[in-house]
Amino acid sequence: MRGTKPLVEISMGIEAFASEWLHCDRISSYLARMVSHNRTDSLLYANLLSSALNELLETAFAHHGPEGNFSCRVSRLGDSDVIELDLPCDDMTLAFYRDAAQRLTQPDLAGIYHSALFSPGKPDPHLGLLEVAVDYRARIAIVAEKGNRLKLAAELTLEGAAA
Amino acid sequence: MSIDRSYQASFNENNQEFVIAGKLRPQSEDEMRPLAEALTNSLAQVRGTFYLNVKRLARLNNVAFRAITNLVSQVCDTRPELKIEVVTSSVMGWSTRKFLPLAERLPNVTVNEYDNDFYPGQSFLEEGGFIPILRNQTKLTWRHERHLLPRHGLKPGMTVADICCGIGDFAVLVQKELKPSHILALDHSRTSLDYARKVAAEFGITDIEYVYGDASEMVIEDNQFDFVTCRHSLQIFDRPELILKELYRICKPGGRVYITNEKNSHCLGEPRGESIQWTYTEVAKLFADFKMDVELGPKSRRYLADAGFEDILVDSFMVTNGDGDPQDFANMIQAWENVFAGEMARDRGDSPEFIARFRQGFQDQIYAALHPKGYAGWPIWAASARKPT
Repeated sequence: MRGTKPLVEISMGIEAFASEWLHCDRISSYLARMVSHNRTDSLLYANLLSSALNELLETAFAHHGPEGNFSCRVSRLGDSDVIELDLPCDDMTLAFYRDAAQRLTQPDLAGIYHSALFSPGKPDPHLGLLEVAVDYRARIAIVAEKGNRLKLAAELTLEGAAA
Repeated sequence: MSIDRSYQASFNENNQEFVIAGKLRPQSEDEMRPLAEALTNSLAQVRGTFYLNVKRLARLNNVAFRAITNLVSQVCDTRPELKIEVVTSSVMGWSTRKFLPLAERLPNVTVNEYDNDFYPGQSFLEEGGFIPILRNQTKLTWRHERHLLPRHGLKPGMTVADICCGIGDFAVLVQKELKPSHILALDHSRTSLDYARKVAAEFGITDIEYVYGDASEMVIEDNQFDFVTCRHSLQIFDRPELILKELYRICKPGGRVYITNEKNSHCLGEPRGESIQWTYTEVAKLFADFKMDVELGPKSRRYLADAGFEDILVDSFMVTNGDGDPQDFANMIQAWENVFAGEMARDRGDSPEFIARFRQGFQDQIYAALHPKGYAGWPIWAASARKPT
């Protein structure tokens, strides 16, 4: 993303990433701690960033293409941090993220999120993205790229919220 | 598939409180079954108000959140008379916001953020009025501690945590003079932390992380620091053993924990020794009434031993009016009088006669401190111990 300063990136095959659920927690905890050290309250900031990042990673864990590289990059843009997930996608994955992108533009996103959060039965597959957009006030961009790739970017301004 | 059981759950029947702490990020609802069963069993035992304490739940994903809230919803449907209070903390940042919609949906659920109730009697010491006292105290004790800290094992290049850092001036002095590689300084007072960050910025210090947190339940991983300090703080918590347990936990095996505490009734001065002694004996009683033990200093060895430490080293030193400018000492006593007699004694409901006599002892110590032939002293116990490898 323009003007951002890359801080840290983790890259691996999507099969490796999706082979172990704990990767979501471990990657989110590690990256959040790494990039939060020079924020006003590093522990509080890391806790918030880890929570948001984990939701994005859990979404990517469940919805991705069958093969190719997976990367998670965190960049800085002043008071904001930008998380970028770069993942392989197939038609089904693309449709999933297109639906998500469309839902994220709806009015009363908080209402949609809270309905999804407390809905009976199977959880709404977009729940994590909705949470990041509503509770963490992230600006989320989902872009299909050449070669069956997809980029999901979330810009989070947690500095004020964490101070 | 690995299941990460990094959460702790417990039920206290007497308080009707179910506490979940740690991290809950399961992949499937099946992994939540043991916790759900424990929560269901606990709910079945209570009447009136049930407390779901998530103050120290650091991480929670939606799988776990939905499992917990589904269960709470079911109970609310079948037992409308039961009140459920979800207890969150601002230390975690996300939890109040996450649980509040539950209270909006279910009339018998409330969500409360309880940060001011961590420690009884703390409000006197956490507000801005105490900053001048802390600043002056550190200035006076540093003359002694700068020599004591290396003796207690602090070496350049170490990673240090200063827990209950207050206004952060001790961490700044340690950083400047004793050159650790990094300091994490934690406190529960936002006023103090704001001040600490401002001072650090003014001095261009970037190697200290000032963080908000509860010393008795820190969101810091185990075995992180070579040297952990906690000064003048165990004595103002009603359960110091909880803090020590945390200091032990975050210290690396082989690292040391360093604590300082007072025995306030041993503050002294001459001339007018009798009046001074009476007042400080009353100071100790006053703090005891607010569940703080300002007589803890000489008990340091016992506390450290009981917490599982080894190689315990206990020193004591006396801060006196001879440590530099006697006016600094006098200013500290005046600040004590303002808080102890001006606020705490008044809030305890002491009579004007008592408060007048109580104040006189402080004034007599100031007299002794500024008297050309006088002597005034404030004794401190500095103790450290090693975490076994």
